[in-house]
Amino acid sequence: MPETSAICWSCGTARAPSDALCPSCGKVQAPPPPRGVLDKFAVLGFPRVYELDERALEESFRALSRKLHPDRFARATPRERRFSLEQTTILNDANRTLRDPVKRAEHLLALRGVKVAGEERGSSASMPEEFLEQAMEDREKLLEAKMDGGPAAVERLAQGVRGKRQQAMDEIAKVLREESVADKDLQRAAQLLARLRYYARYLDEVEGRAAEM
Amino acid sequence: MALFQIQEPGETRTKEACATTAVGIDLGTTNSLVAVVRPDLRTGAGKPRALPIDEGSTLLPSVVSYGTSPTPVVGRAARRLAADAPRDTIVSVKRFMGKTSADPETRRLSPYKFAEGESGTVRFEVKGRAVTPVEVSAEILKALKIRAEEQLGTKIAQAVITVPAYFDDAQRQATKEAGRLAGLEVLRLLNEPTAAALAYGLDKRSQGTFAVYDLGGGTFDISILKLVEGVFEVKAVGGDSALGGDDFDRAIAQVLLAELRRESDPRLVREAIDAAKTAKESLTRNDRAEVELGGRQRLLTREEMERVIRPLIERTGPASRRALKDAGVPDGKGLDGVILVGGSTRVPAVRAYVRELFGMEPLADIDPDEVVALGAAVQADLLTAESPQHDVLLLDVAPLSLGLETMGGLAEKLILRNTTIPTSATQEFTTFADAQTGMDIHVVQGERELVQDNRSLARFRLSGIPPLPAGLARVAVTFQVDADGILSVTAREQLTGVSQSITVKPSAGLTDDEIERMLMASIEHAEEDVEARLLIDARVEAQRILKAAEQQIENNGDLLSADERRDIETAMQALRDTAQRKEHRAVQDGIQRLDHVSAEFAKRVMDRGIERALKGHSAAEFESGEVSPHAQKAYSALRDE
Repeated sequence: MPETSAICWSCGTARAPSDALCPSCGKVQAPPPPRGVLDKFAVLGFPRVYELDERALEESFRALSRKLHPDRFARATPRERRFSLEQTTILNDANRTLRDPVKRAEHLLALRGVKVAGEERGSSASMPEEFLEQAMEDREKLLEAKMDGGPAAVERLAQGVRGKRQQAMDEIAKVLREESVADKDLQRAAQLLARLRYYARYLDEVEGRAAEM
Repeated sequence: MALFQIQEPGETRTKEACATTAVGIDLGTTNSLVAVVRPDLRTGAGKPRALPIDEGSTLLPSVVSYGTSPTPVVGRAARRLAADAPRDTIVSVKRFMGKTSADPETRRLSPYKFAEGESGTVRFEVKGRAVTPVEVSAEILKALKIRAEEQLGTKIAQAVITVPAYFDDAQRQATKEAGRLAGLEVLRLLNEPTAAALAYGLDKRSQGTFAVYDLGGGTFDISILKLVEGVFEVKAVGGDSALGGDDFDRAIAQVLLAELRRESDPRLVREAIDAAKTAKESLTRNDRAEVELGGRQRLLTREEMERVIRPLIERTGPASRRALKDAGVPDGKGLDGVILVGGSTRVPAVRAYVRELFGMEPLADIDPDEVVALGAAVQADLLTAESPQHDVLLLDVAPLSLGLETMGGLAEKLILRNTTIPTSATQEFTTFADAQTGMDIHVVQGERELVQDNRSLARFRLSGIPPLPAGLARVAVTFQVDADGILSVTAREQLTGVSQSITVKPSAGLTDDEIERMLMASIEHAEEDVEARLLIDARVEAQRILKAAEQQIENNGDLLSADERRDIETAMQALRDTAQRKEHRAVQDGIQRLDHVSAEFAKRVMDRGIERALKGHSAAEFESGEVSPHAQKAYSALRDE
């Protein structure tokens, strides 16, 4: 049920707590109090779905930035300037999450109360032993390829990891597309997302170094 | 109405509207400019315009000479003094902004003498006194302000000042301080490439993804921006805040000096650098140039020069490739154009390299020296005008990752580079020892894994954490980066709500005292003012302490022996007497004496307070945080002992 407890500080009209701007007078509002997981889809005006139109997302981000950015409030009162800063901070964060498929999936899980392993440093304990072993092995191979194999060998390894990443992404997308998901499927998606972090770090090492050479 | 108030019809409004003007300032390494948006009288459309402020030119050389007159000389006039007073004439001060005296920058080929500052800040020794880079920059800004005011006939109180996108927090803070010191309200620190893109985008009404390759006198910046419907979204930035045309000059000068086979002195170094610069500029148009140094003539060919500077130009490659990748246009695939900014992009070898790097012919139709100032003027207009001339919005990013030191000297990143600002991030940390009541927060900036390889921005301590077994206390550290790219950090203990917050004052920046002193020094009769202020401060402090002492004696006098009580009361009376006198030092001495004789008393009062606070509470209540913060604090203090 939507809460209607908030009112506009300027004109006193009742508004939804998630409204960044007053629907009546258009003044910028205080962000909702931090309680639970903030729905970043709602911030940008999207339903909670995994597949979303990137173009529409960009357009929504631009339109909201135009209304909320601190530059628009350079001449406003200190209160409005503060709200603008807070709202834009939330908007930028939401946009960052939604435009990245991995972060978007993690956020969808978080909204369903599932936490993804590996969010904090050193919490790899919850990963299956065999996966960690495989990851170690992959990295060793990468090191070897860098030493003696040359760019072609490195690229071959990267291809392999990209393939695994795509597979995991597809599976996650499939789970998140369902209306109602069984708990064990959500856990499985969380597992896969944790793996994606390893793949991302691996590919960073390949591509990042190449870009800086 | 007085006669002088009557004006021609139609003139009044504009005059009123422009009573004070906001300008855009490009505070450059080699040259500085000031530009302003003024509506065209015929069309009403506002185009930014750079003002001619130095002997008819829009470029004010960023040179400040403390050599000859009591007030510093700025611009071309200062540059002419450089040869005779190389030590007292500061050139390219921007390279030293936000730098510590340990920075390699201070050890490069230069004619300066450095003095050590109390906060480790670089100081130039000029004419027997030490000036900071912030003060030198403020002189340039002051000159820009005054000369623009003369041109426009209005007061200038506000400015948008540009900084290299790759400037770190310390360098940004230093620039803001310089603005403040020059009497300007700094509306915004704007990244130079973003400013350039703004000027270009408005001029060409372009859409698409652009790279801005900005090679100035002392800094290199690369920015990738996406322009859609008036929104300029920065996708990625990169660069090297210590690489530019100055390095070309120095590299050439080094060759020239080596050939002379002579002991070099500051004057000769200055001459060599100037000769190299002249030759470099000549070689952008000609194939060969005459160089004269120390009575020796030689011919320098363009090819020869390019061999010397090529390795420096190539240093722009890795940062450019990384920015392209970060922006999602690897190797420039999908890029719609490359914009050249900065005087050093006039060097043909630089253009050739850009063509090679991005695989396309770069754009340079707006004067690369003026384009940044023009963009800054547009932004100043956007932020101050009732109805701005252009409906555009800039979305900028944090240039470098921001993080914290964690166990083992590792840097944990909270905000990644190229994150759109304003932004914030929170991370929870916990204690690693039983009953640990304090936590050191060390804020760092940079991309490296180890803290020691990154830039240290600030250190502070969160104390008053309730003493719990290791790993139970939760400290949430929040970073907030504002629209200027400046960071503030808050640490909050979740159980008790104890919190500490700071706006990061870079370790290499100035201490508050120093800033305060410099501000005071810029006022006339500086010494009397300082003395007066210190005296007021001391008196206020004396009042506060006397009042506290009286109150404690009244409430807890029973804790004192007669002798002790007499000692304290004597010290109190002595302080009351000296507070009437006009020397702040005497007042401070009196405060210290009272502080000293009452130290033991204060401790006893505190112990009693703790005892009372703890009465009636169980240890479990403290562990679970169910008691008031006040009692909680007392409990912590007890556990600490």
